[in-house]
Amino acid sequence: MTGFLRRRAITSLLPLIAVLLGVFFLARLTGDPANLYLPVSATPEQRQQFIEQNGLDDSVWAQMGDYLWGILHLDFGESLRTGESAATMALRAFPATLQLAFSTMLIAVVGAVIIGSWAAYRPNSIADRISSFLSMTAASVPDFWFAIIGVWIFAVGLGWLPTSGVTGGMASWVLPVATLVIRPLGVLTQVVRGAMVSALSAPYVRLARSKGAGDLRVVTHHALRNAAAPALTVAGDLMVGLVNGAVVVETIFGWPGIGKLMIDSILGRDFAVLQACVLLTAVSIFVLNILIDIGYALLDARVREKVSA
Amino acid sequence: MLIAAVLGAALIVSGCTVANSEYVTGGGAGGLRIVLPEEPPTLEACQSSLTSTGIVLRSNITEPLVERDADTGDLGPKLATAWEQTTDDTWTFTLRQGVTFTDGTPFDAEAAAFTIDRAVNSDLGCEVEGYVFGDTDLDVKAVDDTTLTVTTPEPDPILPLRLSFVEMVSTKTSTTEKVRVPIGTGPYEVADWQSGQRLSLEANPNYWGGQPGYQSVNYVWRAEGSVRAAMVANGEADIATSLAPEDGAGELAVAYRNNETTALRIQADEPPLDDIRVRQAVNYVIDRNTLVRTLFENLATPAGELIPEGIVGYNPDEKVWPYDPARARQLVDEAKADGVPVDNQIRLIARTGQFPRIAETIEVIQSELAKAGLNVKIQMMDTNTQLTYQIRPFPEDTGPYLLMIMHGNQAGDAAFTLDQYMLREGYQSSWGTEEFDASIRDAEALKGDERQAAFEKLWPYEQEKVVQYAYIAHMSAILAKSASVSYQPDSATGDEMRLAEMSPVS
Repeated sequence: MTGFLRRRAITSLLPLIAVLLGVFFLARLTGDPANLYLPVSATPEQRQQFIEQNGLDDSVWAQMGDYLWGILHLDFGESLRTGESAATMALRAFPATLQLAFSTMLIAVVGAVIIGSWAAYRPNSIADRISSFLSMTAASVPDFWFAIIGVWIFAVGLGWLPTSGVTGGMASWVLPVATLVIRPLGVLTQVVRGAMVSALSAPYVRLARSKGAGDLRVVTHHALRNAAAPALTVAGDLMVGLVNGAVVVETIFGWPGIGKLMIDSILGRDFAVLQACVLLTAVSIFVLNILIDIGYALLDARVREKVSA
Repeated sequence: MLIAAVLGAALIVSGCTVANSEYVTGGGAGGLRIVLPEEPPTLEACQSSLTSTGIVLRSNITEPLVERDADTGDLGPKLATAWEQTTDDTWTFTLRQGVTFTDGTPFDAEAAAFTIDRAVNSDLGCEVEGYVFGDTDLDVKAVDDTTLTVTTPEPDPILPLRLSFVEMVSTKTSTTEKVRVPIGTGPYEVADWQSGQRLSLEANPNYWGGQPGYQSVNYVWRAEGSVRAAMVANGEADIATSLAPEDGAGELAVAYRNNETTALRIQADEPPLDDIRVRQAVNYVIDRNTLVRTLFENLATPAGELIPEGIVGYNPDEKVWPYDPARARQLVDEAKADGVPVDNQIRLIARTGQFPRIAETIEVIQSELAKAGLNVKIQMMDTNTQLTYQIRPFPEDTGPYLLMIMHGNQAGDAAFTLDQYMLREGYQSSWGTEEFDASIRDAEALKGDERQAAFEKLWPYEQEKVVQYAYIAHMSAILAKSASVSYQPDSATGDEMRLAEMSPVS
């Protein structure tokens, strides 16, 4: 197992470095932040001073060297916008994103298992129709549309929920989570349904049934266990997407997470903060992938054997 | 139905009960709740000419020596009670007595001199230094506790107006670094700032003036206009700013004139835009009345100059170009006959989200320009990229372009507009004439009625002889306001929202 993890770590480290350098260069292609941070009437001398103070006059290679050297010393630079440490800002925003992503994923998994199993067990039932509707909706409607419609119906129209924010208690979680959950719930339900259909027709399930196992026991103890592995892989990918892509939802609902911080940093050409956000997200995705691999290995004996071989 | 089901499930999982009135943005009883489009990046007082900083800071947490009345343009006393020009290049201010900063430091002439030195004469690179004072350094002296003199290298007839942008801070403020939270003398002080979430102010118990109508004020920020409007509709906020007509504030919407004017800057140094006939043609094909009626929902007025009414130097008689596409076509054809390369591709550059319906506005203008025989390609840019075209040094070898700008003269005097947008070497200007530069300089040195009269003549001259701009409209802004708050926004509200002017409706 440790050998497997070591190999996995090394192969994942390369994309991590590629992402870091990619963001570094791409950010600098978008132009000099001097215009945004200096008054419109700044003199050429003030402009030059700003550029020198922020090391923007060095070559890109020298800037990259500084940046990598800084990382080695856990110095991620300072925000041009707020003057705060970039690492502090990214670390402060990250828990909000993780909370959102984990709550969403929990609801998606529970919902998908219930709806997907039911749908597989009773083709053409209400659950089956919900599952196909969900997956179609998830594939075709953009997040921001859900978000805005949700605000209009449930906050303004019915007055049941707050429009946005994180300070209104648990109720303020409902709309952001509901918006985010549609896609993972749709995708996962389809995966669970598919896996369950084939599991339910497998010989061992027929055997269990012939031995007198009840419906519920067949589904929960026999079929679901085998359907769990593919669902876990997909759930892992979806989780990565959530950590990485809550941008729209965070922006609309004023959720102070890393997605919103990234957008603000891109628009503000706040390179240090952008880099810190990307680094943090990339590392967490890297860790997440390893966790998924371990979970997968624990669930599936065939993988476990291959891993320890 | 499905969404409801999902929401229902989510509600059960999160185990919450729902009661509408609990979604306060943190204010609690008696607090005022305001939702802004973005979080202030800093509340450093010398950055107060940044809109997102100034709207929270100015005249709420900190105060200047003198304050401009947004409606009349007159200066009124704030931390100074009187001021006069004592010699050609020196102004003397008499300061208010008995004022202290919220850290207990007394406000006196020393403190005022300290603040002005810090903001204008230092190496901090303050926004206000460049925006209001350019390269000018000031000689500031505290004569006694309540007397301050400010001397400029050249006589400056509008120095008090410029100083209205300098927000006074405690002498304990760092002079080597900008600070995020300032110590001022205003009716409010910062109580709690949870980065990313909200900012709370509390009334300053030792304020020298009367106590404001609200004991506490909470600011939150949401990028989406429709969400900001919905927050007021839903009772989660009392005031939401920077709304568009389609954001749905309905009866809670309050439209008010702001100081913003939209215009196309014609980069007149490359063919075919270096030919005045082509620039006139651009002016003739913009159907300002229709744009205002349909796209701006009558919340704007067609413009014939770059500043609106209420700014010193506004010319009430300046004509708006008539919509005359036939005349435009004729001018372009004449230029073509003289060998002007009117087929050169011209870029029409605008900034995404610069004002509501900018994309539609740009498309309408492009199609009209095409009818006049010009070859125009639209380019929408984000703020930073667009600013590289708006501010000197302009990018080189770019080909001809038209640039949508929106100018807000927050200082109240045309000099701030003319220096930047009209002088040949102005930071946001690409074209002009020697003669025009000289008239601008002459007008700026005058005072009172003479100043007004000299400025008024500049606008028709610009449109006849220079034609660097195609002015479009004087704009309006919309905010949403709960019925429980009494407040009348004015043209300065977008930059300076005075909390002391707000009170609960009893």
